[in-house]
Amino acid sequence: MATETTLRPQQAAAIPPASDHLNGDDRSALLRYMLLMRGIEARAMSLYRQGRVPGSFYDGLGQEGVSAGAAFAMGPGDGLCVLHRDLAAHLVRGVTPARIFAQYMGLDGGVTGGRDGNVHFGDRHLGCVGMVSMLPDMMLVATGMAMAFVMRGEARCALTWVGDGASSRGDFHEAMNWASLQRLPVIFVLENNQYAYSTPLHLQYAVDPVQRAPAYGCAGVRVDGNDVEAVFEATRQARERALAGEGPTLIEAQTMRMHGHAAHDDMRYVPAELLEQWGARDPIERHKQRLLALGIDVAAVREQVGREVEEGAAQALAMDLPDPGTVREGVFCEGEPEPIGRGLAPWSGFAGAADA
Amino acid sequence: MSYSPTERQSRQEAPAHTVEVTMPQLGVSMAEGTVAVWHKRAGDWVEAEETVCEITTDKIDSEIPAPASGRVAEILVEADETVPVGTVLARIHTGVRAGEAHPDEQLAAPDAREPAVAAAPDGSAPADRPSDAAAPDASAPADRPSDLGRRDVPAPEHAEDRASHYHSPVVQRIAEREGVDLARVQGSGRGGRVRKQDVLAFIARRDAERSDGAADYARSGEPPLHTESPYREPQSAGAAATAKPQAPPGRVAPAPPGEGERLSRMRRSIAQHMVRSLRTAAHCTSIAEADFSAVQVAREALGLTYLPFVARATIDALRAHPQLNATLEGETLTRHREINLGIAVSLGDDGLVVPVIHDAQDLSHEGLARRITELARQARAGELSPDDVHGGTFTITNPGAFGTVASTPIINQPQVAILDLEAVVKRPVVFSDDAGQDAIAIRPMTYLCLSWDHRALDGAMAAQFLSTLRARIEGWGRT
Amino acid sequence: MPEMTYLQAISDALREEMRADERVFLMGEDIGAFGGAFKVTDGFAAEFGSERVMDTPLAESAIIGTAVGAAVVGLRPVCEMQFADFIACGFDQLVNVAAKMHYRQGLAVPLTVRLPSGGGFSGGPFHSQNPEAWFMQAPGIKVLAPATPEDAKGLLISAIRDPNPVCFCEHKHLYRRVKGDVPAGRAATPMTARVARSGSDLVVIAYGAMVWAALEATEDLDGASIEVLDLRSLVPLDEDAILDSVVRCSKVVVVDEANATCAVGAQVASVIAQHGFEHLDGPVVRVATPDVPIPFSPPLERAVLPQPDDIAKACRELLAY
Repeated sequence: MATETTLRPQQAAAIPPASDHLNGDDRSALLRYMLLMRGIEARAMSLYRQGRVPGSFYDGLGQEGVSAGAAFAMGPGDGLCVLHRDLAAHLVRGVTPARIFAQYMGLDGGVTGGRDGNVHFGDRHLGCVGMVSMLPDMMLVATGMAMAFVMRGEARCALTWVGDGASSRGDFHEAMNWASLQRLPVIFVLENNQYAYSTPLHLQYAVDPVQRAPAYGCAGVRVDGNDVEAVFEATRQARERALAGEGPTLIEAQTMRMHGHAAHDDMRYVPAELLEQWGARDPIERHKQRLLALGIDVAAVREQVGREVEEGAAQALAMDLPDPGTVREGVFCEGEPEPIGRGLAPWSGFAGAADA
Repeated sequence: MSYSPTERQSRQEAPAHTVEVTMPQLGVSMAEGTVAVWHKRAGDWVEAEETVCEITTDKIDSEIPAPASGRVAEILVEADETVPVGTVLARIHTGVRAGEAHPDEQLAAPDAREPAVAAAPDGSAPADRPSDAAAPDASAPADRPSDLGRRDVPAPEHAEDRASHYHSPVVQRIAEREGVDLARVQGSGRGGRVRKQDVLAFIARRDAERSDGAADYARSGEPPLHTESPYREPQSAGAAATAKPQAPPGRVAPAPPGEGERLSRMRRSIAQHMVRSLRTAAHCTSIAEADFSAVQVAREALGLTYLPFVARATIDALRAHPQLNATLEGETLTRHREINLGIAVSLGDDGLVVPVIHDAQDLSHEGLARRITELARQARAGELSPDDVHGGTFTITNPGAFGTVASTPIINQPQVAILDLEAVVKRPVVFSDDAGQDAIAIRPMTYLCLSWDHRALDGAMAAQFLSTLRARIEGWGRT
Repeated sequence: MPEMTYLQAISDALREEMRADERVFLMGEDIGAFGGAFKVTDGFAAEFGSERVMDTPLAESAIIGTAVGAAVVGLRPVCEMQFADFIACGFDQLVNVAAKMHYRQGLAVPLTVRLPSGGGFSGGPFHSQNPEAWFMQAPGIKVLAPATPEDAKGLLISAIRDPNPVCFCEHKHLYRRVKGDVPAGRAATPMTARVARSGSDLVVIAYGAMVWAALEATEDLDGASIEVLDLRSLVPLDEDAILDSVVRCSKVVVVDEANATCAVGAQVASVIAQHGFEHLDGPVVRVATPDVPIPFSPPLERAVLPQPDDIAKACRELLAY
């Protein structure tokens, strides 16, 4: 199986800026989130191999640009349903590395306190709703959040990521139809990473989802998922449209899952040349070249991220396992429910609004 | 069909596991013997060496011990039959374990001579014919919902057989807690199965006769009719007036002076009546002792308390001695034809009422029992009408449930006598048998305490009344 | 107190909660202009507007899923399944998304799903089901099943105010067949069982329409004193009340209109077996619909749904035991 945790593209070409709405700090921040995601996942994979992470382990190697870019475009009051290869989105919203490591390890200090594993979480205090394994169930949840925002007259938007495989299920249709019908402020970021587990696209559908979107009455946009700025810009525009009452957008972000479905998957079904081809388009490397071209100190960001990852892992390793005596607690909510809160929104476009 | 004890038994009915009980040769000259009584019936568990039956010969009577432990598979010689020595009297099936036989054994079935179903000569048990056990309503579709019920409740044929084999959890639990030998409890369920209400009724009857009635009352939850004697010295009412609410057990009640508390209306009324009666009547108390053996047999058979029997006997005695079925008002004594029998019913802390059974002479002991129960219920529920408590001509009070053996009741004015039924307790008593020989026996005895008004009658009359009453009680069922 | 049908009581609960709490809104197929397949929401769109009385596409999964989304951001959606049977199409959203949400991440989903349940009117295999036990197996969902108009209103109010997903199983057969006094105002009924009739010889434990069947069946059962316990709430299940009845009566008949296997009654019987064993004076007897789909033709349907006679018969057999 692919064990490298840092891609070594044969030729990482510098790419020009893809958004006019990002300043240098924003671009550094995008690099930072992508590096953090990759660093945390690499460290977690190592913990997994040490037996510190139970179950299996799922990562988003090669897809960092999709979650970082889309989440970066979202406002503090927006509602996000984050998928399992979108760790950067949690980092953008403000979840700390230590809590993520603890989540992986099933510790009390993890976001779900050991009740759910790996990236099956969402910090409700940060405006996120944790995903379920049934895909794309969260499309409907995001649609419902958007519906509530409209009913209350709030300028908020909902977003969820969704995979290529999930576009085959009925809930994809129900959500596309419903959101379009009610012109809801919701964004579906279809993360097309070429494989649903081992099933390639040509066994998944006859018509590309982004081509289906107009048939529902939904805007459809295709974007290079390995260009974090392009994903950001597509999402930013989708959000603008959504808040203007123009309805939902399906953004198809084309990318590649560079690891197996999970740690136990050696991915032998993926042709080597495909990996090679996508490896040359690594989102971090490309964005780094862009920053270097803009004269930004990439090494400092990388160093800072390395420290954060190690600190987070060390903090998590010192945390306690959950108390089995509490296992029956929390099945039901008692008392007044607390709706999801507000997350961090570090983009400079939300300057002054980035309160948690 | 799930579990069926019959099925299990029939499968294990292998001759290899059968031991015979034979008519023994007790002495060289004995040629034949008669079965006197069976201690076991078919289906009973018997321990090795336990008496299985008694035999009698012209020379000797003897108990026959079982040759092995097991279940009595069949009884081949009925009681009173005479058979030659060596005749097989019964077979004991040893291929079963204790517990597979039923626990309620020899005393439960009055007709022990009936061969059990399991011992059908052809060896076929009812369970071999499951179709027999199926729905009586064969026209119903097989998947009718009630099938569920039918499947779960043993069909009658099986229940008949199974009834005597086990007791339900609640029955066993109650029996264990209360120390009840379930073999003594008459079952009213399917096939004679002892049901919860059977064992509860048994306990209620037993507790009613126990000297430690108070504790049993607490357990059974069925209060005796009368939980305290109101017939105490007048000052007791006054003492109650200043008594603090009862201190919890284990704590020392503070010494007087305590907080005063006005008597309830009912207590005030009771106090007034009692004091007036003591002031009015010339109270005398006569006490006679009575043997309740006969009544005990009868009441256990019917599941009643002693009280209705005593009430019926009292009615009979009053008819023989109408001077006591009377009221005295001023200087006018009125003898009554009808007997309106007052029964004192305790209302716990609230006090006491005396509902009246009008025309009690028309009621049997069973009718009296029903009426007493109903009046007690009404009394406790506060449903008595004024008519229910007026017009009494004689009163019975029954505080013996708490174990008192003698009291001096206060007459319920304007009546002229009151009978107090005390605890029935086992006492050694001397009696003479038919041959005039004295013997000591343990008998359920009680003191019948009669308070009477010396203004209206004399001691001889009271004594004659008590004598008649005693005779009725002791001779219960013989007249 | 005004007298209402069971259906009117449900409407009343919805109306009063919507008037009092602007977070409450309704979603369902044909509930707006048409007023719902059973007319529960008749006139609601006029009073509350089409946004709060939302006619949805024919998409049960979407109804539940979007309701979850609305709930987690602070609204109180009340979803109507046109027939309880169709909840199967929204099962995943209810069981996987809504039910586990709070346990996994502390996020409450105050969501009510109204499930017009039950048979008895030739609805056939897809309009007669009693799916309550499906959801008893999904921790995180409460399940209610009222029998009386008063409880229909009170329990629906409880459901709407509850911070959790609640399946509200309203029995179609009772909609216009039972009437009763229903308190005005917004009184919530606790999610506990109710002694519909007290007795001491035997208890029939039932819920929903079967409470009425049980009452009818045991109204005069040879003078026996029959208790009828109306469970009202299936999750949480009022085990104390069940065991109280068992202690009192010692004989138990459990009635389900649902298919027998793993039904509510099976759970009740299990509770009794485990915690009430020492109080039993006979087997726990179950009367339930056998494990067949609910057939269409009246004689076939009658043959599977528990009838008062079936209950009476089971009681008689157990009483004689």
